[in-house]
Amino acid sequence: MDTAHVATAEAPGITPLLAPDRANGAVLRVGLAYLVAGLGSFLLMGVLGFFMRLDQSGIFVLSAQWFYRIMTLHGAGMVASILLAGLGGLAAAVSATTRLSARVLWIVLVIYMAGMTFTIFATLLGGFAAGWTVLYPLPTHGLVWSLAAALAMYVGYLFVALGLLLYAVHILVAVSRTYGGLGKALALRYLFSFGRDRRDPLPRPVELIAAVISIDSIAAVTAGTLYLVPIFLHAAGVMTVDALYAKDTVYIFGHTMANLSIYVTAGLVYAALPSFTKRAWPTTWAVVIAWDLIIILMLANFSHHIYADFAQPVGLQLLAEIGSYAVALPSFIVTIIGALALIYRSGLRWTVAPMLLALGIWGWVFGGLGAVLDSTIPVNQVMHNTMWVPAHFHTYYLLGAVAFAWGYFFYMVAELSGTRDLTLTRLAPWLYGIGGAGFIFMFFVAGAHSVPRRYAVHLAQWQIYARIAVPFVLVLALGLAGLAWDLMLRFRAAWRGTQHVVGS
Amino acid sequence: MVDPLGILVVLIALGVIWTVGWAVIIARSGHPVPFETLEGSETRVRVSLLAGMVIVAIVLFFLTLRALPYEAARRAELGAPRVTVMATGTQWSWALSRKQIPMGVPVEFAVTSRDVNHDFAIYDPRGHVVAQTQAMPGYTNRLIYVFQTPGTYTVRCLEYCGLGHTAMTAALTVTRQ
Repeated sequence: MDTAHVATAEAPGITPLLAPDRANGAVLRVGLAYLVAGLGSFLLMGVLGFFMRLDQSGIFVLSAQWFYRIMTLHGAGMVASILLAGLGGLAAAVSATTRLSARVLWIVLVIYMAGMTFTIFATLLGGFAAGWTVLYPLPTHGLVWSLAAALAMYVGYLFVALGLLLYAVHILVAVSRTYGGLGKALALRYLFSFGRDRRDPLPRPVELIAAVISIDSIAAVTAGTLYLVPIFLHAAGVMTVDALYAKDTVYIFGHTMANLSIYVTAGLVYAALPSFTKRAWPTTWAVVIAWDLIIILMLANFSHHIYADFAQPVGLQLLAEIGSYAVALPSFIVTIIGALALIYRSGLRWTVAPMLLALGIWGWVFGGLGAVLDSTIPVNQVMHNTMWVPAHFHTYYLLGAVAFAWGYFFYMVAELSGTRDLTLTRLAPWLYGIGGAGFIFMFFVAGAHSVPRRYAVHLAQWQIYARIAVPFVLVLALGLAGLAWDLMLRFRAAWRGTQHVVGS
Repeated sequence: MVDPLGILVVLIALGVIWTVGWAVIIARSGHPVPFETLEGSETRVRVSLLAGMVIVAIVLFFLTLRALPYEAARRAELGAPRVTVMATGTQWSWALSRKQIPMGVPVEFAVTSRDVNHDFAIYDPRGHVVAQTQAMPGYTNRLIYVFQTPGTYTVRCLEYCGLGHTAMTAALTVTRQ
C-alpha cells in the first residue's frame, strides 16, 4: 500500500475534514460507524436484490413467499441503509465547523439499527411481505403473515423514524446555534436581498444542506406519524382508515425518505469535491436559493406516485407534475453544473474518491431523466408500476447516492489515515459504473416492454431482461468488493487518525 | 396514447447527450486554469440550460393537459362512454361484469377493490400496457379507453397485493362491431 501522506494544506476557502481547533474527532468516528453500518447493510441488501433478479431470470427460482419477504426487506433495508451512510458522512462534514454531540449521534445509530433489526425479524422470521411501501391495508390483510409481524415492521419503521428525528433536531439546533438562528442557517436574509445583504456570516453549503435535510426529515417523520397513528387506532378498533389518506401520507413519508438519501449524499459532494479540485465551492446566492427551494420541492411532488389513483384531486396530480419538473432545476443547474464546473480544467488527480463522485453525478442525472419522464402523467399511464420505476430509482440510488457515499467514505479514509487508495482499486469504479449501468439499463428496457415490477413469477418472454442483467450484477459486485476490500485495509488507520485530533 | 418503446428511445437519446457532455467535462479535467476565468462561461451555461429546461417543462406540461387519463378529461375528449364494465379486485382475482368489448367506442371501466389496493392495467395483444388505474377499497376509479385493435387483452394487477399478485389476471376480448 502506498502510505504517502495525502492530507495537504487545503486551498483558500476549502474546509479540511479535521477541524484544527475543534474536537470533532469523536464525531468523525461516529460518521465512520454510520458509513460502515450503512454501506455494509447496503451490500447485504444488494445480495438479496441479486436473488430477486436471479428469480426473475428463471435461473434460481424462489417461492413467492420468500421472494416477497426478500423484496420487502430489500426495499426497506436499502432506503434505510443508504440514508444512514449519507447521514454519517453529513455529520462528519458538518462537524468541521459546527459542534455536534457524538453521544447523541451514537444514540441515533443505536435507535436506527434497532429499527432495522425489527424489519429483519418482521420479514425473515415473521414472514411480513407487504412491500417496503406498506400500502394500507395490505400490511394487516396479507393473509399469510400475522398481525404481530406487521406490528414488528411498523415498530421497526417507528424506530428508524425516531432515530432520524433525533438526528434532524440535533443537526438543526447545532447549525442554528453556530449561525445565530435557523433563518441565518438557511441564509434567508442573503436570499431575500438577492445576495446584497452580507451582514450575516453564511453557512458553508454542507451546513445549509444539513439544515434543509433536517427540516424535510422532520416533515417526513410527521407524515409517517400521520400515517401510523390512525392505523394503530384502527388495529385497536377505534376508527377506520381511508385508503387514499393512508396512501398520501405513506408516500409523503416514503418518497421523502428516499429523496433524503439523494440530497444528503449530494451534500457530501459539496464537502469533498473541492479537496480534489483545489477550488472552493462557496455559498453563492444560487446555492442558497437552490437548496432553500428544495425544502418545499422535495415535499411537493410525492403525489406523482399516485397518478393512477383517479380519486386523487386532479389539481394535486398536476401540482405533482409541476413539482417533479421543478425539483430537477435547482439540482441540475446548481449542484450538477456546479460540480462539473469545479472539475473542468481543475487538474484534479483521478483517485477513487473523485472517480466515484463523478460517477454519482452521471447516475444522478441519468436516473433523473427516467424519473422526469415517468413523472409526466400520460407517460406514467403506461409506465406506472412497470420495471421503469425500479429502473429510475435504482439508477439514482446505486449510481448516484451510493456512489457519492462510497466516494465520501474514500475521501474520509484518505484524509484521516493519510494513505492513498491502492492503484488496483482504481479499476473498481469502472467495474461499478459498467456493471451498474448494464444492470439498471435492463430495468429500463424491461419497463419499456411493460414488464411489471414486484412480480415473483416472470413470464418466459420477460426473463431475458433479467438474464442479461445478471452478468452485469456480477461485474458490479466485483467493483463493490474491490472498494470494500481497499477500505477494510485502511480503515483502522483512519479510525486512529480521528484520535489524534486535539480534545477528542 | 404514449408508446412505451418511444419513451425508451427518448431516454436513450437524452442519455447519450448527457453522457457525451459529462464525458467531455471529465476528459478535460486536466490542464488547470484559474477558476475565476471560467465564471462567466459557467453562468452563461447555467442560464442557457435553465431557459431550455423551463421551456421543455412548459411544453411537456401543456402536452400533459391535452392527454390526461382522468374521467372528466376523457369524457370531454371522447364523449359519454357507450359501454361500462364493472371491475372489482379481490385477493387474487378480478370480477368483470363483461369480458366482450366492442372496438372503436369509449368504454368505461368502473374499478374498485373489496380488500386491498390493486391496479387494473390493460395489456394489449402485443403485451404492452395501454391504460391503467388503481383499484382502491372505498373508491371507484373510472378509466375510459377506446380499443382500436381487436384481439385478446389481458388485465394484470400492477399494485403489489400479496402472495398471489402475479396470478391476478383476466382476459378481455375486443371485437369489431
